[in-house]
Amino acid sequence: MSYDVNGATIEHDEEGYITNLSEWSKELAGIIAVAEDIDMGEEHWAVVNFLREYYEEYQIAPAVRVLIKSIKKSMGPEVGNNKYMYELFPYGPAKQACKIAGLPKPTGCV
Amino acid sequence: MVSTVYAVLFYIATLVLVVGVVMRVINYARTPVPLKIVVSPAPRTRKGVWFRMFREVTLFESLFKSNKWIWLFGYLFHFGMLLVLLRHFRYFQRDVWGWVEIIQPFGIYAGFAMVAGLAGLLFRRIFQQRIRYISDPSDYLMLLLFLGIAGSGLMMKFVNHVDIIAVKAFMLGLMRFQIGEMPRDPILMIHLGSVVSLMLIFPISKLMHAPGVFFSPSRTQVDNAREKRHISKWAAELPDLPEGIPEKKEG
Amino acid sequence: MASLDMDAKGGPKFVGDPLKIPQIECGAMADSKTFAAYPVHNEDLGFPGELLDNWKEVAIAKIGELADKNRAFKVYLDACVKCGACTDKCHYFLGTGDPKNMPVARQDLLRSVYRRYYTFAGKYFPWLVGARDMTREVLDEWYTYYHQCSQCRRCSVACPYGIDTAEISMAARDILDSVGVGQKYCNEIIAKLKKTGNNLGLNPKALRATLEDLEEDLEEETGIAVKLPLDVQGADILLITPSADFFAEPHIEGLLGYAKVFHASGVSWTISSYASEAANFGMFIGSYENMREVSWRIRQAAKDLGVKRIVFGECGHAWRVGYSFLNTLAGPFDFLDQNYPIPQHIMEFTSDAIDDGLLKIDKSRNDEFVMTYHDSCNVARGSSMGRKQGGQFDLPRKVIKAVCNHFYEMERDTIRENTFCCGGGGGLLTDDLMDLRIKGAKPRMTALQQVTEDHGVTHMAAICAICKTQFSKVMPKYGYEMDNVMSVHQLVANAVILDGQETEADVATAEDTP
Repeated sequence: MSYDVNGATIEHDEEGYITNLSEWSKELAGIIAVAEDIDMGEEHWAVVNFLREYYEEYQIAPAVRVLIKSIKKSMGPEVGNNKYMYELFPYGPAKQACKIAGLPKPTGCV
Repeated sequence: MVSTVYAVLFYIATLVLVVGVVMRVINYARTPVPLKIVVSPAPRTRKGVWFRMFREVTLFESLFKSNKWIWLFGYLFHFGMLLVLLRHFRYFQRDVWGWVEIIQPFGIYAGFAMVAGLAGLLFRRIFQQRIRYISDPSDYLMLLLFLGIAGSGLMMKFVNHVDIIAVKAFMLGLMRFQIGEMPRDPILMIHLGSVVSLMLIFPISKLMHAPGVFFSPSRTQVDNAREKRHISKWAAELPDLPEGIPEKKEG
Repeated sequence: MASLDMDAKGGPKFVGDPLKIPQIECGAMADSKTFAAYPVHNEDLGFPGELLDNWKEVAIAKIGELADKNRAFKVYLDACVKCGACTDKCHYFLGTGDPKNMPVARQDLLRSVYRRYYTFAGKYFPWLVGARDMTREVLDEWYTYYHQCSQCRRCSVACPYGIDTAEISMAARDILDSVGVGQKYCNEIIAKLKKTGNNLGLNPKALRATLEDLEEDLEEETGIAVKLPLDVQGADILLITPSADFFAEPHIEGLLGYAKVFHASGVSWTISSYASEAANFGMFIGSYENMREVSWRIRQAAKDLGVKRIVFGECGHAWRVGYSFLNTLAGPFDFLDQNYPIPQHIMEFTSDAIDDGLLKIDKSRNDEFVMTYHDSCNVARGSSMGRKQGGQFDLPRKVIKAVCNHFYEMERDTIRENTFCCGGGGGLLTDDLMDLRIKGAKPRMTALQQVTEDHGVTHMAAICAICKTQFSKVMPKYGYEMDNVMSVHQLVANAVILDGQETEADVATAEDTP
């Protein structure tokens, strides 16, 4: 179970989350997105970048609400709302976007 | 010879039944219950639990709510059998109690109810897809054994009369450890033989549901976990966990 | 009635019967396999990392140990007469048709082995009583089908002897764990909780940031500084709530509701970063020791913070552990205020606050919702609330009706003690079991569709983090939106008007006044 980035092998778990978080790169994000059937646009990147920044600071993914609030600030309410987030990431901004951003999967009753 | 064989069998079966069931019940009673696992809504007092169990045992309340057909057949069978059993008291008493006299005619109808109930249960076991799936050979055999007992009993009443005076004399003798003459009637021999088998397998079979229901924690516990601390012996002996938050103390 | 047609335009037109019994379909779910735990997770919980070489002996011995330590396990294995009353009660059977999802058949997977090694009949006449040897196939079958039981106990209500498949299922998972076969979802989460205090892995810094963010939102909405205090020494109340309340929707909305109720009631309260989780997955894996360790954190936090009361947030199985087990596992709580139940449910708190007239409520603020209520299985059948028997059904309804104008009940046999599991309980709320979760939700979803047809119900409220997450994921498969499931305290939050809060009505009146 691994992704191939320019010849480098990057391990992931059963669901596609990378196991060594430091191996993340923009190219890898693109590759994961392809596997997830997502065409990465500017808005997708805004989400991914925010997730990474937040993770850097807090060592965990933000609550969806916090994510949306931040995107709303940076990109406006048309993008920063729950419905649109699910259009960007049909399997949920928490899980699918985290996977692309190279964050661990949020666990628990979420 | 036949009388002796049956007498010995009866003694053994009685011993196995009584000792077996008592041992199992003691074992159940001694097995700890680590947690409060009442299935709620449940009574919050001991009295309420007695009432709940009384309804369960006399009305089969839960079964009634969950499946009317099984309830109907099960109820006919169990309460038919209860009356039939009570009716049989007269074979063990020199002077028969008044109420045993009174129920005699009802006991006969109860015999039919018992057979009807058993037949219904067997029918469902064979033809209801889901129940057939969960049935093992012993489940069918158990019903057939009961049908054999009830059927042979009814035959002695309505088809092929047995000298019940002689049967009673034999039974009363057994109770005084005197082995008399048992009538050589094939149906009676089948009847008593099946009863002996039933007594023998009781403690090692699903028939233990009868005492078992009184040891089912989900029904017999009182719903008072917040008010009264429940703790089992082995759990109380587990090693202590730290009081206070360890990380905080270190840092 | 026509069967459920999920592809029909505009949602299903003819709603089926939520209790419809399917034809048996052998092996329908035989391929359902939840991810196995990594060795490190098993070891963190005190189990062998991988399948032991002598697993067979260990498993058989474990069955005997459980029979000696737990009366329920022994009596339930002995007492079943295979009457069949439970066979149509499991939502996973109704949703999949796999006969091994019939409660008695699920029990039999283990009962057959118990009989083989621990009963006279099974030792000498195995064919007669369906006894079978412990083999690798049996072990795999246990793993498959004991992870298709959400331990919801609906079958136990139906059983004439109260046989509780949840007990058997927990025992089976305990045996599996003890030979090194754990489930990733549960074991990873328990391991995480032991390190961070919650299932999410939320550290104190992140938790504080989240709570501050929510305080901002509340102030923006109400104009009032409603606090979500963290680690406050000497607060009256310690709130123990599922960590999903800090993370997911609609859970967070419920948390905001608790905060408003506490604020309006004028009590001091706090969340603990050490015990920042109500959930206790130790129950799902049937491990007394793990469940005790997780529960113990609540005791530690309560003592350290010097609180007087413990209140649980909206979490189903947590409330079963809280109500029924906490006193056993982490008691006695002689250091808390004995004038209040220990622990208390937020629903009890809110209900009392309503009775005491502490909440100013504008029901019309929920007029856009036509509500029904989903009784969460663990609350319904594993706990109670309030002073009267059945309070676990009545209190949430009372609170909903106090804050909403439109409320309708679903079909009688699908609510209260007969409620269906959401389909994701018992440690099955994981993406690798999505197929099972969707199928298992069918009875509940069908009952919901009925009230949508009959009364125009738009939303369903629940008081369990698992239910909320599960429904927000599966409702779109049944013609609803993901936000059609709501927290009960979300409704409370909508309707409560805090002292000094400026409402649209106030604004309108102010404008009207010349």
